[in-house]
Amino acid sequence: MSHKNPAISRGVDWLMIWLYVALVAIGIMSIFSVTYREGESVIDGFLKLRSDYGKQTFFFILSLIIGLTILLTDSKFFTATANIWYAMGIFLLLLVFPFHTEVKGTESIIRFGSFQIQPAEICKIFVALALAKYLSRVETEFTKPRSQLIAVAIVVIPALITIAQKETGLALVFFAFFLVMFREGLPAIYLIVGFSFAVLVVATLLVEKNTLAIVLTVIAAIAVYLSRRQIKRNRQLLVTIAAIWLVCVSIQRFAVPFMFTHVLQKHQVERIFSLIGRENPYAAINSVEGEVSTTKDTDYNVRQSKIAIGSGGVTGRGFLKGTQTRFDFVPEQRTDFIFCTIGEGFGFIGSFVFLALYLFLLLRIVSVAERQRSVFSRCYAYGVASVFFFHIAINICMTIGLAPVIGIPLPFISYGGTSLLTFSVMLAILIRLDADRQMVLR
Amino acid sequence: MEIKRDILWRVSLCFVCIVAFSLLILARVFYIQQIQGGYWKDQARQQQQKFIEIDADRGTIYSEDGNMLSTSIPYFDIYIDFGADGLREKNGKRFTENIDSLSLKLASFFGDKGKSEYKKELQRQYAARNRYYLFKKNLTFQQYKVLRNFPLVRQGKNRSGFIAEVRNKRLNPYGLLANRTIGLSREFIDSDGKIKNSNVGLENTYDTVLKGESGKKLVRYIAGGVYVPVEGYVIEPEEGRDIVTTLDVNIQDITENALLRMMEENECTNGTAIVMEVKTGKIKAIANLGRREDGTYWEDLNYAIRASEPGSTFKLASMLALLEDKYATLDNHVDLERGVWHVARRTVYDSERHNKTDVTLKDAFKYSSNVGMAKMVWMNYSRDPVKYINHLKKLRFNVSSGIDLVGETQPIVKSPKSKTWSATSLPWMSFGYEVLVSPLQTLMLYNAVANNGKMMRPYLVNEVSQDGIAMKKFQPEVLEESICSESTLKQLQESLWGVCQEEGGTGYLLFKNSPYTVAGKTGTALVANGKRGYSDHIYQSSFAGYFPAKNPKYSMIVVIKNKPFAKKYYGASVAGPVFKEVSDKLYALMPDNERIPEPLETTPDSSNYSYAGLGIDIKAVLKEIGSVYRDSSGKSEYNVVMAKNGERVVRSRTLENNMPNVKGMGLKDALFILENRNVRVLAKGKGKVVAQSVSEGSPLEKGQVVVVELN
Repeated sequence: MSHKNPAISRGVDWLMIWLYVALVAIGIMSIFSVTYREGESVIDGFLKLRSDYGKQTFFFILSLIIGLTILLTDSKFFTATANIWYAMGIFLLLLVFPFHTEVKGTESIIRFGSFQIQPAEICKIFVALALAKYLSRVETEFTKPRSQLIAVAIVVIPALITIAQKETGLALVFFAFFLVMFREGLPAIYLIVGFSFAVLVVATLLVEKNTLAIVLTVIAAIAVYLSRRQIKRNRQLLVTIAAIWLVCVSIQRFAVPFMFTHVLQKHQVERIFSLIGRENPYAAINSVEGEVSTTKDTDYNVRQSKIAIGSGGVTGRGFLKGTQTRFDFVPEQRTDFIFCTIGEGFGFIGSFVFLALYLFLLLRIVSVAERQRSVFSRCYAYGVASVFFFHIAINICMTIGLAPVIGIPLPFISYGGTSLLTFSVMLAILIRLDADRQMVLR
Repeated sequence: MEIKRDILWRVSLCFVCIVAFSLLILARVFYIQQIQGGYWKDQARQQQQKFIEIDADRGTIYSEDGNMLSTSIPYFDIYIDFGADGLREKNGKRFTENIDSLSLKLASFFGDKGKSEYKKELQRQYAARNRYYLFKKNLTFQQYKVLRNFPLVRQGKNRSGFIAEVRNKRLNPYGLLANRTIGLSREFIDSDGKIKNSNVGLENTYDTVLKGESGKKLVRYIAGGVYVPVEGYVIEPEEGRDIVTTLDVNIQDITENALLRMMEENECTNGTAIVMEVKTGKIKAIANLGRREDGTYWEDLNYAIRASEPGSTFKLASMLALLEDKYATLDNHVDLERGVWHVARRTVYDSERHNKTDVTLKDAFKYSSNVGMAKMVWMNYSRDPVKYINHLKKLRFNVSSGIDLVGETQPIVKSPKSKTWSATSLPWMSFGYEVLVSPLQTLMLYNAVANNGKMMRPYLVNEVSQDGIAMKKFQPEVLEESICSESTLKQLQESLWGVCQEEGGTGYLLFKNSPYTVAGKTGTALVANGKRGYSDHIYQSSFAGYFPAKNPKYSMIVVIKNKPFAKKYYGASVAGPVFKEVSDKLYALMPDNERIPEPLETTPDSSNYSYAGLGIDIKAVLKEIGSVYRDSSGKSEYNVVMAKNGERVVRSRTLENNMPNVKGMGLKDALFILENRNVRVLAKGKGKVVAQSVSEGSPLEKGQVVVVELN
């Protein structure tokens, strides 16, 4: 092949392609094992697109065709059109508001006849491109706050629009792009602040509020004690420590409760509290009249998922023998909870191999990123890695009860045309760019 | 250099982050699968397998004559599993091949839909792949049998997808008949305000017997919300047992109808009629009717066992007391005071105005004079009312009847110690006020009088059986061997006879032209209507008695509560006719020998004899003397020859493994049989055995001495 068509295959990272094919194959197999019923004609299922695994195979082939097209495209095409794609993505996102169809509680889907797309899903590609484009501009000096602000805006604007469409899960994915910015030199302080904030929020949920306030005060006191000499020299430091303490306490006292009562939706709050195994203390404020608590449902999903994974044991029940996943016990098991199928069918060994494949892919992408000569390619590769990482980590954590159920798909595995196409296209563009790693793209 | 180091730590942080997260996930998966694995596997098993109960078939309630009074009928609900493998294999070949013939058959058999409609319906569900489609509900067994042979369906569950689910419905083939006593489930409003069902009557009393024990089966969950049984894990239910009641459908029908007719005619509020077999205490019929708002009647409450003021029928108890204590005989005279008598600042009135003054006690009873009864009891017991009360207690008026029905109300017999006891209590009690007893209790007294003083426990169930084999038999039970002395009994019987057979008796006109005789007593009582007291003029009419008077077979009581200000309210005109209608019909149904009012004159040995012995010997003797006989002995070894309706009959004599009946046998046979059972026989006298020291059926021990007396 490489002889006949040297233009395409030159520089292509075959390892990533094989990893990709392996993962998609595992995905189709998992969907097959969930939806296949004894006595069905498998050939019909595949050829006539009657079954979910047939449809997924169809999208896989479609992805391969689009991927091939991308490989045939000049890398410069992506740098040149990145901003146009981004603009189009935002336009599509906005188009959702007048034209959306409400499907299963989400308002993020546009439907043309039998064909439906979810702009929030596709937009990830465009944000990755646009961010790469912006960061790779010669005139961008990422050390300046103004540039940092613009970069943040590129990521946050689609995220906010997505939140408005009640797709918090997909919106959170956009925040994965901060990883790209971090790699490109976003000061570590942002990350530290962000991380501290996350820890504080979690602590607020887990620790009684007065205890937490005391703990914070003690920490502040220790900080003052340890830096007493510097403080003697520099009064400013004391003020800073006091300010940080004040901010922390007010976050814990006011910001978090505000967030849980006014920003997050009720079911999201329920999920978070169901994850940490507590009663929702804001239930009374959250509750809308006539609405039934959904805590049980959330609990139920995760519980069923754990039952399925837990009954896998070391080697699993075997292909098509995972009774929990085969018999519809786990809700949403073709899509969000597909990991259960692997966990139950192939046990710990299967899960280990599966995770190793993912880890291998992710590390491969990061190392590919690092070998790029052009900043654009590197940023884009990091963007892909961040998005994949976020999806994989959150999705699997969700099924094993480590993260709240926010309903984002597992890349290449979960059933769903849009998501498979999106991830495939992201990877294909990366492979294309990587093939031209010796070039400097602007 | 600085920049390079900065980038390096950033990149390595990314690597570390990814790897750390992966390890975290892996650790968690390991934890769930390996550490908690057992727990989750257990949960999975619990979800996939469960025990479901298999209901036991509820037993049937039979009447004594073997008719089903309440039974469970299976109904079939037909579901179709359109996802059945056999149905869908080869692209649904089986379905498409059979659908036309099946639809045709369905359309012609059920007739509710056309062929094409059935076809469309089935095709639509097939396309939707419905795995549990409710196709038909409530098919009878007959319909189900036909359906089972239809095309496709006959290929079985796995191929056709047709699933039949059986439900049992309780059915009363005789509808209203004794409905309350049999007692199907009744709606009631629970304390939490919901309408619930509960069984009443026999269905309730014998619920534990009837319902059996439900079984269990282990089922496994398969795709599509379907459970399939796991082989080898079935505990079969223990079917409920049947009960055979003492009720007789014919008698019940007669009684129920007679009561219903009178009540409809007179718009009565509620009423009950009970027929009891004199010798045994068996309830042969028990009817309870209450008027509903729309004017129809329904067996709503068991009035037969609800205590109320009995009225004049209770005078029999007062008579018994007076006669037994020898304060009076039937010929004693009493002044009826023209029906008005003042006692303790209240007035006793007779229910009908009359000018009678000096009459005998028997006549006072015959006329049902409240004054006469009150005066007699007052005169003799006012110094020691307890003595009178003790008679009532001996007649068991203070305890419930002991019938095998739940819901019997507690009777009330006051005593001088009671808070409500007053100076007028005693005289009023004498004619049936200020006591609360149920119609059934009153009937027990009348039955005892008819049964020569022996008071029987009323009962409704003869036996509990399974598959037609009796598991437990209930025998008649004597509550009181003798309620009074022989002479008192004779006088009581005479008094009751007088009421119905002598001119002037309250029941005389009723039975004037009857071919048989009735002994009984009428009763007319004012009923208190809650707070309104007696002002609504609600009367309770009753009639209690037995027939045929000289050789009583049945005793019976009819108690009817009339509507306020009813035109007809006398016992003789409301309850009496019901009694008569029933007794007329029952008399007609009696076998000839029981209809003859006078007992048979027996001539010893020629018309009433019983000789037992070895079957071949008896037949040889009869043949030798050229006697004509009917042979119903079958192949049994020992027979007995006896007279039945003037004919000579040879019957089998079954010998128990325990002590057999050797009466009527010669010593040769008796010795042979008994010594074969390893007992020592002591014989006295000569001839045939007339008595044996150990009664029939008693267990025998080795070497036990049995004495037989020969005549």
